Amino acid sequence: MTSVGTGYDLSNSVFSPDGRNFQVEYAAKAVENGATSVGLLCEDGVVLAVEKLVASKLLVKASPQNKGSGANTKIQTVGRHIGCACSGLVPDGRHLVNRAREESQQFKQLYKRDIPPVALADRMGQYVQAHTLYNSVRPFGVAAIFGGVDPETAEPHLYMLEPSGVYWGYRGAATGKGRQSAKAELEKLISSRDDNSPITTLEAVKELARIIYIAHEDNKEKEFEVEISWCSREHTQGKHTLVQGTMLEEALEYAKSKTSNAQDDSDDSDADSDDAMQD
Amino acid sequence: MNGIQVDINHLKKGEVSLGTSIMAVTFDGGVILGADSRTTTGAYIANRVTDKLTRIDDKIWCCRSGSAADTQAVADIVQYHLELYTSQYGTPSIETAAAVFKTLTYENKDALSAGIIVAGYDDKKKKGEVYSIPLGGSVHKQKYAIAGSGSAFIYGYCDKNYRENMNKEETVEFVKHSLSQAIKWDGSSGGVIRLVILTESGVERLIFYPDEYENL
Amino acid sequence: MNHDPYSWGRPSDETYGQYSDAIAHAPSFPKMNTQQPIVTGTSVISMKYNNGVIIAADHLGSYGSLLRFTDIERLFPVGKNTVVGISGDISDMQHIEALLEELETENNYDNSHADDEESLQPSYVFEYLATVMYQRRSKMNPLWNALIVAGVEDSKPFLKYVNLLGVTYSSPTLATGFGAHLAVPLLRRVVDRESDVEKTDMQTATDTILQAMKVLYYRDARSSRKFSMAIIDNDQGLVFNKELEVENMKWNFAKDIKGYGTQKV
Repeated sequence: MTSVGTGYDLSNSVFSPDGRNFQVEYAAKAVENGATSVGLLCEDGVVLAVEKLVASKLLVKASPQNKGSGANTKIQTVGRHIGCACSGLVPDGRHLVNRAREESQQFKQLYKRDIPPVALADRMGQYVQAHTLYNSVRPFGVAAIFGGVDPETAEPHLYMLEPSGVYWGYRGAATGKGRQSAKAELEKLISSRDDNSPITTLEAVKELARIIYIAHEDNKEKEFEVEISWCSREHTQGKHTLVQGTMLEEALEYAKSKTSNAQDDSDDSDADSDDAMQD
Repeated sequence: MNGIQVDINHLKKGEVSLGTSIMAVTFDGGVILGADSRTTTGAYIANRVTDKLTRIDDKIWCCRSGSAADTQAVADIVQYHLELYTSQYGTPSIETAAAVFKTLTYENKDALSAGIIVAGYDDKKKKGEVYSIPLGGSVHKQKYAIAGSGSAFIYGYCDKNYRENMNKEETVEFVKHSLSQAIKWDGSSGGVIRLVILTESGVERLIFYPDEYENL
Repeated sequence: MNHDPYSWGRPSDETYGQYSDAIAHAPSFPKMNTQQPIVTGTSVISMKYNNGVIIAADHLGSYGSLLRFTDIERLFPVGKNTVVGISGDISDMQHIEALLEELETENNYDNSHADDEESLQPSYVFEYLATVMYQRRSKMNPLWNALIVAGVEDSKPFLKYVNLLGVTYSSPTLATGFGAHLAVPLLRRVVDRESDVEKTDMQTATDTILQAMKVLYYRDARSSRKFSMAIIDNDQGLVFNKELEVENMKWNFAKDIKGYGTQKV
């Protein structure tokens, strides 16, 4: 990378001579190395799924029985109707969601309605962008996928926000280490459907589980778990809910059966990795 | 008063107030807002042709009662909020407009005397809605609402004569008769009767003069 | 600089009169936020029985003596086994309603057990509300309400009261406002002490509450005939009836009352 090491990469608020903000690009690197997150816009709602790299054998395990996530839930809720999946630095993601929750609460206090996903994405975009302007702060090392059903219009929405503060609306979004293969799978999935047979959340839960398994294939040596959540007009009354129990079991079964070298969750790789922060 | 000892409570006492008769009624095609046109300072009529029906958004209007200054200030601030809201998120619902009114009147209840009716036509839901926001800043969704000093005299009339799903002409007559009675018995109400009709097709203003409504 | 306005010097007394608080722009009394209730709801009444609690409140929002709003719900379910009944100022009630919704939303955050082991319990809701009520009165800006929190916790009935002063108490029968004077004696005829709760079944308790609502409608000039009643039963969960009316009133004896003492016709 030209200009790296020339001092222009040491601070926000300083452009390099070729017009780049290196700190933001480095933040994006943190995201690229993070665990994979995906989201899919469906006919009746949205589904989010994340790959959870198991940083230590000592961590509590997730299973469909213990609410699908055990003690270590990664996907978070904003208000009742929006879900957020983050890739990159976990603590940055937590902070971002805390801010999103404040925005959601403030919006509802003033306007007496749940914040539409687009408004949340916009406000979070402004917040994240502000962290690229000052040398006293560091940009966020996360990409966040926000998805939910707008209760006023009953329309589902999906947005992805990046460390630069930019956000776009997506039909299918993927970020993190396995994003390339995940994106390819999402594209295949979306283009295989036409307007007459739009994908439903019920199907998407299984498909996203499969996509997380595929996205993990380049990273096989690491043990992982899959966490899935959904917002559906019919099935969850628009509320953001973790997928649990038999529904999760079936999705994981489906994912394993569809991936060629289906690995078992409990393989004996040494998972005590040094990049524990990067999930 | 000697020029320095200006007491806000003195000012409040001599305040220009809308000792008013206002109402808003939903009907099958939308909503009608109605008001008298009298503004008083004590017993003196400061303005006999006041317009108490105020636009907040294209199809969200309000009827103002209480202090003229307070309600104008509040309406202006709500209008600003909704303009901002529209530019970011699109047309606000009537409920959202009412919520912004509520926030202002509830948070400043010690300082304000404002009794407001918010009414509008919702193009998405294809119907009219009415919210009453009395003194303390509570919000009440209603089929129709009456407020102001003159309303005390027409609770019985309105309760007996209001029907759900009236047509536009019936509703105009209902509002006209109701306000005519309120004006007749309330010294703080008078002048002309102004109506604003909010429907699918837009905004329509009507006006009725004393000669027309006094002998209904 | 000396910031005391009284030491600044001033125009002569002949022109402006005695120097005063008003000239110094200093309030003669500390800032006060205490208000007065505008639109109000009257009593909430409640009692325990052997398998839960019952709570009831009418639908009226009074504006002074004007019976202005006739369709106000003053019982608010929180979670699956708690109901909060609110009397007093309706705008503050709506504020509390919003706070309770935020409480539920926040309990759901990062909590995959929010709908079972870690769901909001009556005692949590009560402790939260009591804290809010006391904080607000300490800021000299009280929420002008009296609240009753009713529910079932650990299979046992829960019933507690808090008001605008931040005062709290508990009893197997509880009522706010007029109900504290008129309904509590009636409720205590059935449940006088904690040990009576075991002997009282749901039917008896329901009948007692209905009777108390009738007396309140007879005797409270700010009450309405329509009311809601919520039963939180250990087995059946929340049973919420919002369409009740006072029934079987006795007015017939009025025809025999003539004059106000000795008159016979």
